Amino acid sequence: MRTVLGFVVWCACWLAAGHVSASEGIKITSDTFGGLSARALGPAVMSGRITAIDAVPGAPLTLYVGTASGGVWKSSDAGTTFKPVFDEHIQSIGALRVDPQEPRTVWVGTGECNVRNSVSVGDGVYRSQDAGKTWQRVGLSASERIAAIGVHPKDSRTVYVCALGPLWSAGEERGVFKTTDGGTTWRKVLYVNDSTGCSDLAMDPQEPRILYAGMWQVRRWPDFFQSGGPGSGLYRSVDGGETWKELTTGLPAGEKGRIAVAVAPSRPSVVYALVEAAKTALYRSENLGESFTLVNSSTNVSIRPFYFAHLVVDPSDHNTVYKPGLALAVSTDGGASFTLPILGGGNVHPDHHALWINPRDRNELFLGTDGGVYHSFDRGRRWRFLRSLPVAQFYHVGVDLERPYNVYGGLQDNGTWKGPSRAPAGVQNRHWENIGYGDGFWAFPDPEDPRRVYVEYQGGNILRVDTRLGELRDITPYAGAGEAELRFNWNTPIHLSPNERGTVYVGAQYLFRSRDRGDSWERISPDLTTNDPRRQRQKQSGGLTIDNSTAENNTTIYAIGEAPGEPGVIWVGTDDGLLQLTRDGGRTWANLIDRIPGVPRGTWVSSVTPSAHVRGRAYVTLDGHRSGDFATYLFRTDDYGATWTPLATPEIEGYAWVIKEDPLAANLLFLGTEFGLYVSLDGGARWARFAGGIPKVAVHDMVIHPREGDLVVATHGRGIYILDDLTPLRALSAATLDEEVALLPSREVEIPILASRQEFNGDDEFVGTNPPEAAVITYWLKKRHIFGDLKLEIYDAEGRRVSTVPASQRAGLNRVAWPMRLPPPKLPPASVLAPAFLGPRVAEGTYTVKLVKGATTVAGEITLVADSRTPHSPEDRAAQQRLAMQLYEELASLTYLVDSLVELREQARQRAGRLPARDGLRRQLEAYADELEKIRPTLVSTSEAGWLSGDEQLREKLAALYSAVTNYGGRPTASQLDRFSLLQGELATVRGKVEALQGGQLPALNSRLKTRRLEPLVPLSRESWQARQDTMRPDGGARHAPSAAVFSRLFAAFTAALLR
Amino acid sequence: MRFRAVTIVVAVGAALWAGAAPAQSLDEILAKNYQARGGLERITSVSSARITGTMSMGGGMEAPFVWQWKRPNKLRLEFTLQGMTGVQAYDGQTGWMVMPFMGSSDPEKMPEDQLADIREQADFDGDLVNWKEKGHQVELVGKEKVEGTDAYKLKVTKKNGDVSYVFLDAEYFLEIRGEGKRTLRGQEVEYESSVGDYKEVGGLLIPHAMSTKAKGMPGGQTLTFSRVELDVPLEDSLFAMPAASKGAAPSR
Repeated sequence: MRTVLGFVVWCACWLAAGHVSASEGIKITSDTFGGLSARALGPAVMSGRITAIDAVPGAPLTLYVGTASGGVWKSSDAGTTFKPVFDEHIQSIGALRVDPQEPRTVWVGTGECNVRNSVSVGDGVYRSQDAGKTWQRVGLSASERIAAIGVHPKDSRTVYVCALGPLWSAGEERGVFKTTDGGTTWRKVLYVNDSTGCSDLAMDPQEPRILYAGMWQVRRWPDFFQSGGPGSGLYRSVDGGETWKELTTGLPAGEKGRIAVAVAPSRPSVVYALVEAAKTALYRSENLGESFTLVNSSTNVSIRPFYFAHLVVDPSDHNTVYKPGLALAVSTDGGASFTLPILGGGNVHPDHHALWINPRDRNELFLGTDGGVYHSFDRGRRWRFLRSLPVAQFYHVGVDLERPYNVYGGLQDNGTWKGPSRAPAGVQNRHWENIGYGDGFWAFPDPEDPRRVYVEYQGGNILRVDTRLGELRDITPYAGAGEAELRFNWNTPIHLSPNERGTVYVGAQYLFRSRDRGDSWERISPDLTTNDPRRQRQKQSGGLTIDNSTAENNTTIYAIGEAPGEPGVIWVGTDDGLLQLTRDGGRTWANLIDRIPGVPRGTWVSSVTPSAHVRGRAYVTLDGHRSGDFATYLFRTDDYGATWTPLATPEIEGYAWVIKEDPLAANLLFLGTEFGLYVSLDGGARWARFAGGIPKVAVHDMVIHPREGDLVVATHGRGIYILDDLTPLRALSAATLDEEVALLPSREVEIPILASRQEFNGDDEFVGTNPPEAAVITYWLKKRHIFGDLKLEIYDAEGRRVSTVPASQRAGLNRVAWPMRLPPPKLPPASVLAPAFLGPRVAEGTYTVKLVKGATTVAGEITLVADSRTPHSPEDRAAQQRLAMQLYEELASLTYLVDSLVELREQARQRAGRLPARDGLRRQLEAYADELEKIRPTLVSTSEAGWLSGDEQLREKLAALYSAVTNYGGRPTASQLDRFSLLQGELATVRGKVEALQGGQLPALNSRLKTRRLEPLVPLSRESWQARQDTMRPDGGARHAPSAAVFSRLFAAFTAALLR
Repeated sequence: MRFRAVTIVVAVGAALWAGAAPAQSLDEILAKNYQARGGLERITSVSSARITGTMSMGGGMEAPFVWQWKRPNKLRLEFTLQGMTGVQAYDGQTGWMVMPFMGSSDPEKMPEDQLADIREQADFDGDLVNWKEKGHQVELVGKEKVEGTDAYKLKVTKKNGDVSYVFLDAEYFLEIRGEGKRTLRGQEVEYESSVGDYKEVGGLLIPHAMSTKAKGMPGGQTLTFSRVELDVPLEDSLFAMPAASKGAAPSR
């Protein structure tokens, strides 16, 4: 609550101070956002659609995974860990091929060819010559989709690309392309017509001049899908692609659809072809394709042929052929019969599109599914899920108000999930909870009862789930008497009223409203679509094979937005291009689409966002990609839709999915397109891509957390990202950007409860990043800082400097984490480390932050408050602070004591060393040094046995107590307080002994030294000790519990930093 | 004051040059770099150095260190944690270390991969100085943005085959970033480092802040130099591996 108040107060001040109006504009680029970075939350518990797998056999195996919309991932350890290697490029991958001769050369064809309704788009062929580190686009930028790549086994410069081409329009950059110069130039060597592209390509491994290509006539519209046509056919070239001949003998004569083709590596005369036709079937040739025989038309091979068209022949047995599909089917008799290897075991996500078989061990398979990659060592009977690929394809996202808050969302083919925005040791797969099945889309917790969540599955099946019990209640509205059959979009909108709790909207062709959480529905509109029967062909959709999955449902409502603060003002956008507004709760409606200039009629309305700041203002995005129109359409109205201002600028790439307006800063806008996240600081006049941590991935939805001010981003291919704390962006004005250096405000920071978990989970799981357990300070540098100091100093309310934090130097926004701790405690040297590596946490309160840049200092404030979940009273927290600080001081006193003792001892030994061996004073000095030295083992561990030696002295005991007290946020136990008194007493006793030694004999010794013209022994004073600490301690500021690993980290860092 | 003078000279030089020629050759860029740092003659005349500072490891962990170097290739790093001082040193032939944190403070020989690193650290002048004599290759890759700042990217192929990249600010010709690969405990780790807070010391511009992290990973460490001394007298014995036990660690 305090956080919210803080926001509001700050915002009011900022608005009062006057912000830049949209007309002036604020010039920004991606670099403006500098070091601001979103954190990837994942999840990888259900991964995303995998489209291509290739690998370099060897130990360890190197694996490349291409995904439908999450880029390319590389594993250098046989799938234990992955890293994304294609983040700067289009994320939709159709094909991936490692050069068999030069495994550091990797080819990627962008644009997936499993052309379902939600498929993305590519922009050509890429090549890496450094094993995936860097990529160059080498051609075919208009091809949109690439199904396969063939690399000549003996000539790396000869490569064939099988381009399916545009899906939503005609186009000529499709067919088979060939390069003989490593990608510099391409020739189209097989082309049928502008609607027929290449669906598969196979090369004879022994005689690479022999090539087979499946050609596929295919087309999508917003409301219809057509697989098949006269252009489809299977072709063969025997001269390296120069000439092609259609293969017809034994293949179906009529129209064909998608065709897959595979050559048996162990006997290349055997060729398999899967041909979609009136009767889809598997065909086999034993004579290099001269003639084919139908061998199988069972469901195992014929199911959903536009989506499942992939064949893989066993590397050593020409009669074993795999058919990935709804399930992985395999034949061991040349295709005559198929079985599912997982029968009798195995548990994998259905819908398979990629399969790699290790040529050195035919038992080892990697399988790419709609839910990620699986690994088998027994030819597919049992599978290991690779848990480290966060390529989830979210459609939408919602949040709740729990602490920490949870994120909700539905995924393509992977149900609906709920997961925490942070968790001890990071957000792991096990933290995610499945709360809905099928294809998931919108998901919102009920604001009054977050355990009830509205979810849905494809085609308008609305459910309310009790997340505690797992019970689902179907709350889908039904058509009333005399009403037309309801038409629901594949991705049916559910909308929670921002004005009335418990009020929910659902869109079919009508808008439905429920005021009782979906238990009953009221129709509050007429048909808001065109109701054009020509757009209602989903029952005939599919082409040769009917595929009525609701994916082509059209003339439906797609977007709903009720205006915050204006109950009854509701915007509706439809998938057939209408934009409707009611200002009286649904009694009357007006279609405003004709008021929007420059958008082709019928263009899909992808989102409509009423403003929370200005009455009558709304933002709308439109998306024509399903008609082959990739333009960005983005508009704002300030007068309830009477007039519209276009907001798209040339900086924006990709068709638009969603726009969000910040709830506090009216001019701060976020736009999600097919190619990334964009930000505007000036109400949409200027835009820049936000590239911090977020790849060029499709952003389908966003929500700004109402309490935290975090931007939660739902990507269709890379899961959820969170940009923590928008406060600095809200404050970023044109005036700030003109400053050389500026400190930006942060939200109130909660000092988080120290939750700890002991987990040794291995490295094979993706872990979503937590926000830092620190106060994050944001500042602006107009230029990179190069000369002189740059640091952040933190001062408490009394003006004492409590911390100095090294600062980052980049141009643009910088973010630095202050761990909210004092410097580590002082400890005297001993023979083992003690559990006191971190300073105590500072007290709650407001601190002054000073950013020192050379001679310039700018100051601001940051307020630390208790964790809102804390069970400890302010008094208890203060008691903890008190004892922690006492222990901190006591450790310093101990260190001083040991240092002073050692120093005096060394002085005595040094003087002794300058006297003759049998000198009486020398013996006296040596005895004095020995007496001092005798005290040390009672203060610190000195056993050379080190760790586990059991040598625990005051240092170790105080450090253990310090650790116990500082790792808990509440009142110390009575035992801890007693223990402290005891140890304090022991230290005082030893201090007494040392002081006695410094007092008693010292004056006498010093006068004798004087007579011998030697320097007197000077005990180290606490003041000079302190001064030494201060000069020694150049200022500065692990999530991990310190351990022996600390030292290797030290070395690693040193080595790397100093090595130049 | 001298710091300011050097800055101005560099800035004016850069401005003059920027107006004159659109493209830079490697030699020109390197000359600018040497000049910006204080001149090749001064760089190569430094006989020894002592750097005192703190390493911050994030989350509030930090450790003071002292790094000492003596031409041609002697090196000693001490860092202190809980009052205990670890030592890593190289006398030009033998690499050794003292790790007193788990009991023993006996000096021991350094593992080979660490030794390879320390040998390279011992080149205080940096890879770009006298690179031909050292057997390295340096190439100009081109001009790139480093975190929004224009920089020249130089590829350094060391005599031993290791490849690293140095990014020089396009305006001041000082290094602002490095990238490369290190072998640590048998594993290759790609790192990226950021270099800044240049200050004038003894006629040279020396960075006083460096942060480094594994590439693509969060976290990392920052070194902040509180004091840099050049041409300080350092005994050779400081760098030699002590024969006897305990002799290496600072006497406590």
